[in-house]
Amino acid sequence: MPPFTLLFLLIPPLLGVLLVQLVSAERPTLVRALAVVGPAVQLLLALLCWRLPTPALHLSWLPKLGLSFDLALDGLSLPLLLLTALITALAILASPADQSRPRLFHSLLLATNLGVAGAFLARNGLLFLFCFELVLIPTTLLVAIWGGANRASAAIRFIMYGAVSGLTLLAAVLSLGWYGTGGFNLSYASLAASALPPSAQGAILLLLLLAFGLKLPVFPLHGWQPLTYAEAPIPVVMMLGGVVSKLGAYGLLRFGVGFLPDAWTAWSPWIAAAGAISAVYGALNAIAQSDIRRLMAYSSLGHMGLLVLGLSAATPLSLQGAVAQMLAHGMIVALLFACVGLIERKTGTTAIPELSGLMNPLRGLPFTMGMLLLAMMAAAGIPGLAGFPAELLVFEGSWTTFPRATLVSLIASGFTAVYAIRLFNRVGFGRLDNDRADWTSTCWSERAPAMALTLLVIGAGLWPTALTGWSETESTDLAVRSQPFLSSAVPSPETLAASGSTLVAATLPATSELRTS
Amino acid sequence: MTPPTATAPEPVAAPLIPPSSHRYADVIHRLEAGGSMLPDTPENLMQIIGIYKAYAVPMDFYWRDLLYIAEQVFLDPLPAFKYFPSQEYLDLPNSYAGDQSKLRIWRGGEKAHPELLEFMEKGETGKMSKLLHHLWHDRINMEFAEACMEAMLWHQGMGGRFYDYLDSDAYRANADRAIKAYFRGNPLMLGLYALFPEMFMEQVKKMSYYANLGLFWEVMAPVFFEMSDIYDEGGFKGVPDAMNFLVNGIFAVAGRPIYHHVFIRGECFEVIPKSEGFTWLYEAALPYVEAVFYRTAPFRGTKSYNAQAYQVPADQADFHYGILYADVFPVGSAGIPPTLLMQDMLHFLPPYLEDLYKQHKRGEEDKLIQLGITFQRSMYNVTSAVIQALRCALLYPLDDTDPEHLMANRRFFEAQMDRFLRPEARLPQIQTQDYR
Repeated sequence: MPPFTLLFLLIPPLLGVLLVQLVSAERPTLVRALAVVGPAVQLLLALLCWRLPTPALHLSWLPKLGLSFDLALDGLSLPLLLLTALITALAILASPADQSRPRLFHSLLLATNLGVAGAFLARNGLLFLFCFELVLIPTTLLVAIWGGANRASAAIRFIMYGAVSGLTLLAAVLSLGWYGTGGFNLSYASLAASALPPSAQGAILLLLLLAFGLKLPVFPLHGWQPLTYAEAPIPVVMMLGGVVSKLGAYGLLRFGVGFLPDAWTAWSPWIAAAGAISAVYGALNAIAQSDIRRLMAYSSLGHMGLLVLGLSAATPLSLQGAVAQMLAHGMIVALLFACVGLIERKTGTTAIPELSGLMNPLRGLPFTMGMLLLAMMAAAGIPGLAGFPAELLVFEGSWTTFPRATLVSLIASGFTAVYAIRLFNRVGFGRLDNDRADWTSTCWSERAPAMALTLLVIGAGLWPTALTGWSETESTDLAVRSQPFLSSAVPSPETLAASGSTLVAATLPATSELRTS
Repeated sequence: MTPPTATAPEPVAAPLIPPSSHRYADVIHRLEAGGSMLPDTPENLMQIIGIYKAYAVPMDFYWRDLLYIAEQVFLDPLPAFKYFPSQEYLDLPNSYAGDQSKLRIWRGGEKAHPELLEFMEKGETGKMSKLLHHLWHDRINMEFAEACMEAMLWHQGMGGRFYDYLDSDAYRANADRAIKAYFRGNPLMLGLYALFPEMFMEQVKKMSYYANLGLFWEVMAPVFFEMSDIYDEGGFKGVPDAMNFLVNGIFAVAGRPIYHHVFIRGECFEVIPKSEGFTWLYEAALPYVEAVFYRTAPFRGTKSYNAQAYQVPADQADFHYGILYADVFPVGSAGIPPTLLMQDMLHFLPPYLEDLYKQHKRGEEDKLIQLGITFQRSMYNVTSAVIQALRCALLYPLDDTDPEHLMANRRFFEAQMDRFLRPEARLPQIQTQDYR
């Protein structure tokens, strides 16, 4: 495949933005149908890039600033790009058929996709920053215009946190260039090769932790999340939770672990502690919530804590688990919010005390609740669903490095079952309120996005390689610690990936094939 | 200015008693005017008559099988085939309908209803053996009928002499003879009977209630069929007409004997002989309405109750889980008796009810709940008929001119309405058509 194919990955959402402008706003379903073409084509192109490895693209942009249009795909970015395209398409489909101001709404969703996809494709620090910042604008507008009753305060809080995140990332990226040994070169290859002094590494890592910790988010930088998740339109929350938050995780992995390994090693106990605290804090807060959206927000925070734990340990297995957790969490949180969106659309509320009996087979929302139950089970790490292999790898990979934090996170993960059961007991079972239960049932077109995610969550659970296979090589290369009890027993990842007898080789190409930068 | 052609308004007679101040004063005034608790609207009439018809078909099976179990299956320790009534019972002539009836009051045929026979043969799935229909649960659900029977057995002190009679020496002697005859040549069961006589006696009592309910429904099935026919002919003008038909029906058969005969090897054992003088109105109809419409028991699968937190009344008379109080919305869980009844009625809905349900709520999807609420409306009408019948039997005519008599009627109606003051009662909901 020619290198320009990578550029084509960014063109469909751009074209989508233009395309939807050609349709009358009076026809929101047509606008939606056209909008979904962009991410769908992007998904197909990304799959093509997976099957037919594409060389990196180098285009000069503003060389004096160190900004070049360097794009590439590897085992870290390809799965996240696929996830981005998929979640964007499903988020668009999950929007209501009578979406108000549909052209602007879908254009902003596509712009968000463009920013996130660009960040995952970027091989230049400044380009990553540019795309990272680009995401903030459409998402803020989406919250501010289409959000709930408290959308103004949610949007203000979201942009304030986002602005701090962007500014600190700017400072971090510039610092990486200034302190770099190879001159002011912000290409990833140069950043990875430069040996920064330990003091500079520490300061830059602190900036990166702040920037990406805000984006993830992780305790105590999560102040924007519950309010934004509670107020934003459901497709936007699907994007925020499923895709945008992964920018933070990806940034930590790429910049923190990849470019500042010494500082990462030194700071990792604190990072692990933050992850474990996030896991516990998120889970306990989720138990205490009386609104499903806020419950999901805290649940997401808790699961981001597990991801951070995996990153902090930085063993090959834990990093592989962290990438798998990004993918699994992306799908699960999108599924959770797709189901919550259906509940909200039908019942008009997400307040737990106002809902009950939704499992009623005749007048409730049994299909939606069934999918929600499955999503909660996946989040809780029930075997056979996507959450299980990801969390297992994180825990297994982190145990040797941070046993206490891992144990705490493991217990916190168990709390998922507590709030899931509590939610179901109150919302799913009990008496269906006669005065309220006159909503229509969900139709297949409304269910379709959630159903697609459900199938993926089940599929990834039954075939975990779909989550873990992408990043084996990258995880090994990036790891700052070894995996003592696995290194002698199991062949190296390259060998595993190259083996014709494994699922990895049979289905996913060896990630080295994808490494083009 | 009054036009010269205008006639002077007719003087309206001042009411003999002041209006009721009861919370359900409107309903009470309607009852005093000869109406029903259910408002008189064309749609209500259509709903209740339609559901009576849908109820009558499975009821035609219920009463035949109940009598089959009481009279033929009796104490079979493994009654695996009790829901397979013999052809003799399917052909059993109704006592009050058909050419072979002992006292023909209602139209109808003497054998099982053709729609019932057709359903028994084909079910929802298609033509196959009875056993496969049974195992696939594609059948008439006798579990609902048994739940009603158990409610009548369990709730006591509902008037009448029937339950007390089950403890009498005469009954025990009759039951003893029947038990010994049934297990003749079976030393194991006779040995067990010698060891645990009360256990066997309790089973016979249960069988007597099977007979009681079977004899009750034998009357009601043709009543409902005929109401449906009259409606189809354009005979009923409103809900009060339908209620009055029921009142008249109640009085027409009020004196039918309630008995329990058991047939063992061709010999009839009169466990409760007709000569005891138990009658349909007092020993079957009134206890049935009380036990099933008002009281019953919390059905598992509908709602959880915490008895330790006093969510279940200590006094059985305060139970309020019958159809008049039922929250039909949560019903729909598989296998519980109310759902099974709705499932039974679903197969025999008249086309006009099918069309009505398609127009409201979720249409085809939640027909089971819509017909459940229709059933609730119809049972408020049946209860109204029972209340009017009781008033007729115990108190004064509605057009009585003595204020004291009218006040006695008023107190009676108010006392009846007091039972619907509790929040679970659905009387307020059925006053509007929005409740579906």
